[in-house]
Amino acid sequence: MKTPPFLLFAALLFWGWQTDFLIAGATLGAALELARFVKFRWELDDTDFNRISSFCIVLNIALMGYVFTNNDTGGVNGLVHGHTVIAAAKSGALTTTRFLRWLPLTAFAFIAAQMFNARPSVPLTAISPVLRWRRRKGDNEFAGHYYNIEFPYFMVCLFAAGIHENTGSFKYFFGITILAVWALWTVRPRRFKFLAWAAALAAVAVLGIFGIFGITHTQHIIQSFNAAWMARFFGNRVDPLQTMTSMGRIGQMKLSAKIVIRLEPHEVGHVPSYLREASYRNYHPQKMTWYAGGGLSDFEIIQAENDGTTWNLTTAKTNAENINIACYLEGYSRELDAPEGLLPLPSGCSRLENTPPDMILKKNKNGALLAAGRGLMIFDARYAAGATIDSPPDAGTTNHFDLNVPTNEIPALAQVISELNLSAAASETEKRAAVEKFFLNKFTYTMWQGREKHADTNGTPLTKFLLTSRNGHCEYFASASVLLLRELGIPARYAVGYYVHETRGTGYVVRERDGHAWCLAWNRDKKCWEDFDTTPPSWVAIESQRTEFWQWLSDVRSWLGFEFAKFRWRQANFQQYILWALVPVLLVLLYHIIFRRRGKLHGAKDKKSAARENIWPGLDSEFYQLEKKLAARGLPRQPGETLADWLERALAEPALTGLRSPLQELLRLHYRHRFDPHGLPAAERERLRDEAKACLDLLLQARP
Amino acid sequence: MTDANLTAARETYRRIAANISKIIRGQDSAIRHLLAALAAGGHVLLEDYPGTGKTTLAKALAKSIDAQFKRLQFTPDLLPSDILGVSIFNQRDQEFHFHQGPVFTNILLADEINRASPRTQSALLEAMGEAQVSVEGERRNLPELFFVIATENPVEFRGTYPLPEAQMDRFAMQFTLGYVSAEEEVAILTAQEHNHPLDKLKPAAALAEVIALKHAVENIRISAELKRYVVDLVAATRAAHGVQLGASPRASIALMKTAQAMALFDGFDFVTPEQIQKLAVPVIAHRLVLEPQARFSGITARGVVEETLKKLKVPA
Repeated sequence: MKTPPFLLFAALLFWGWQTDFLIAGATLGAALELARFVKFRWELDDTDFNRISSFCIVLNIALMGYVFTNNDTGGVNGLVHGHTVIAAAKSGALTTTRFLRWLPLTAFAFIAAQMFNARPSVPLTAISPVLRWRRRKGDNEFAGHYYNIEFPYFMVCLFAAGIHENTGSFKYFFGITILAVWALWTVRPRRFKFLAWAAALAAVAVLGIFGIFGITHTQHIIQSFNAAWMARFFGNRVDPLQTMTSMGRIGQMKLSAKIVIRLEPHEVGHVPSYLREASYRNYHPQKMTWYAGGGLSDFEIIQAENDGTTWNLTTAKTNAENINIACYLEGYSRELDAPEGLLPLPSGCSRLENTPPDMILKKNKNGALLAAGRGLMIFDARYAAGATIDSPPDAGTTNHFDLNVPTNEIPALAQVISELNLSAAASETEKRAAVEKFFLNKFTYTMWQGREKHADTNGTPLTKFLLTSRNGHCEYFASASVLLLRELGIPARYAVGYYVHETRGTGYVVRERDGHAWCLAWNRDKKCWEDFDTTPPSWVAIESQRTEFWQWLSDVRSWLGFEFAKFRWRQANFQQYILWALVPVLLVLLYHIIFRRRGKLHGAKDKKSAARENIWPGLDSEFYQLEKKLAARGLPRQPGETLADWLERALAEPALTGLRSPLQELLRLHYRHRFDPHGLPAAERERLRDEAKACLDLLLQARP
Repeated sequence: MTDANLTAARETYRRIAANISKIIRGQDSAIRHLLAALAAGGHVLLEDYPGTGKTTLAKALAKSIDAQFKRLQFTPDLLPSDILGVSIFNQRDQEFHFHQGPVFTNILLADEINRASPRTQSALLEAMGEAQVSVEGERRNLPELFFVIATENPVEFRGTYPLPEAQMDRFAMQFTLGYVSAEEEVAILTAQEHNHPLDKLKPAAALAEVIALKHAVENIRISAELKRYVVDLVAATRAAHGVQLGASPRASIALMKTAQAMALFDGFDFVTPEQIQKLAVPVIAHRLVLEPQARFSGITARGVVEETLKKLKVPA
């Protein structure tokens, strides 16, 4: 079915407008509409269409590859870095949408071939490679079916136009409504009154509007549905504002052995034990969640030194230690359109050196550093014991976040404190030692989350941990310790990050399962925050027991990914790089499609059948050129149709009646050449050649 | 075989065909098929409703050739000896004398073959297959030109014994005449207004000419590629959907031989794909046994062959 004039132009223009390819859309549309005004036509046969189709498919695959590798938040980076499920899904969706948006462009060759072809339709086998494959296998069910793809292409344009950013605007909806009405107007059923037709369309449009609202609403509901809980399980990104613990949940805690950070100390053996990403102040006992006590707006931008690669975090501090840290930024900043994430830093870090020059760094009051820029950050961190960038404990006594203990945890804490047997005059050092000893002697580490700590009317998970079960993982120990220290009058915070213990060559690697939680305790004498970890040291051994025998394999993959990421993030114009790398691949494929149809790409079986077909005599007949020419004029021969029957059908065309007798004479010669076991004498063979040429010339003159 | 012989054979065909079409109107393709089977040395089964001209066609052929013609009306009580012949004791010379049955002829019309008992049917079919009959342990050859035209009414009619599958295979071709157009039927009425034109039909060819035609057909060439096409076509019916029993190699042979005859009629010295395609349905379809389920779902043997023709790539 043909589209009404200028509908394709309008659709392509609409697509260009919606996806910011306005000039491309207008050019393509104008090129297609040109077919209505020029008389020039190609005579493409099925094979030509198959080639064009193959080219479009290769182009699409190349484009998909380009979009995929070029995807900042995922794509191939996501694959080699071992992204989380959500990130992978996000990047998949992003790849798909970007790819689909270009569909009218990549399918253009196909529609243009049809518009400028003598027969305004394409063979069904060209549309689907599956059908082509079946045809090669000898299934001729779909041979000889031709379709006009103008309307399908129109739909593709509308669909691709739908992939745009301006959500909440009705431009797209009104656009497609107008185009659809235009398209449907030309094919409306004539037996109904105009009014009935218009009313039906209007009803559909109204339903469409309701549909839009419905989808938006559903989306909101799904998004708000326990988003934090989902984030906990599907994302290993640390949120600087809150961290939801797994306390009170049932089941085995599992974290992967994926390498997330690599450390290279400048002096052998000088390596920090803890790398902190964020710390939190407020505990919500029902949600089992720690909050930072502030919003993203609390983050303030840090200015770099003049060279842009050095950042002073705290002043007036001698930095004894220096370590090189390589970490991935797993998040994505919509605002900056760049990867974003928290930097894992050693305690007392005061200066970052040799960072990538285009990094943007922010910090909040809890000492979390939020960096944005490249997906892989490699930098030197200088650190020493003492002052940190964290804000000191609040001065006042009211609303003192760092001493705040939720009321329903107090009874359990009081019972523990009585168990500690502290004298009234105990110093803070003594108190900390007592707490440390208490956890070390009376508690065990376990990754198994039993039913006994599940929250119920008898108490919170933390109460059960402290009083009855006395086993758990680091989040229990850290949360309990923070609250216990606070109850004892020592300001404390909940810290999240990684524990460093595994050497690799001269450096260290940190795996996802080395993720850890511990306390920050305020030292009033030194006026600084100190790491205070009460989790039994055996936890490292317990975690390492879960090492799988194939871990070396995943480490190799991780190393490859790391090397790739180093290369990828060093290359500023990486995208162009990939684009140009795709060009030769595309050209080689193109060459194969056009010139090597029966070449190396086919298997041995095909060769055999080709050899069998080629032994028949007379396959060099010039008659086949005529057959091809006529097929391109819209008179293709069916596989089961004999040449004589087909010629009879073809000659029914008025323009060809003059060719009847020469063609029939030629067919007789051709048949003798092909099917007479005696073959064609040399003189007759010459005649076949000459007459075929003459007929070809006649055919060219007899334009339809 | 010289070109002159071929031309003569073609002329024989043309004369016989023209002669028959004086009687049988509007059935040119049926006449061609009939003569192709005759020239290829096969036998023909005409299956059609009563009154469509089956017997007339057979009679017209017999009359057009100056050959011996016999007609056998098959009935349920017909015995094999009624067909083959019987030895009778002669009192005078005290010896048995063999009395030839109607099978010893050039053209035999076996009318309503499906009304006789299977025992009688098989007696005829043996003669068709071997071109000889064995009576009382003695082998007797049939004449060089022996052509059977059997007719039958569709098996749905009462009082019939459908031919067994194995015997259907003995017929080179089966086709129907069908009803002709209204104009043709009016012409038939006009022709028979006073008397039957069959009565006035004169022979158009001598027996020797028809035998020469048969020899000419044997010399029509067929390429290896087309032989392969014939074999592929027949083999494809064995694998076709809904077919319980496909066509046999005998079908391939029959298809090739009749195609040779048809090529001769068409003025070719060699077989072209058209002749094979045109003959595929009459030669192959009656040999196929369909699965009962396929039959009930509306698949016909004719449809299976036509579908195979469409799907199989024809040499071009």
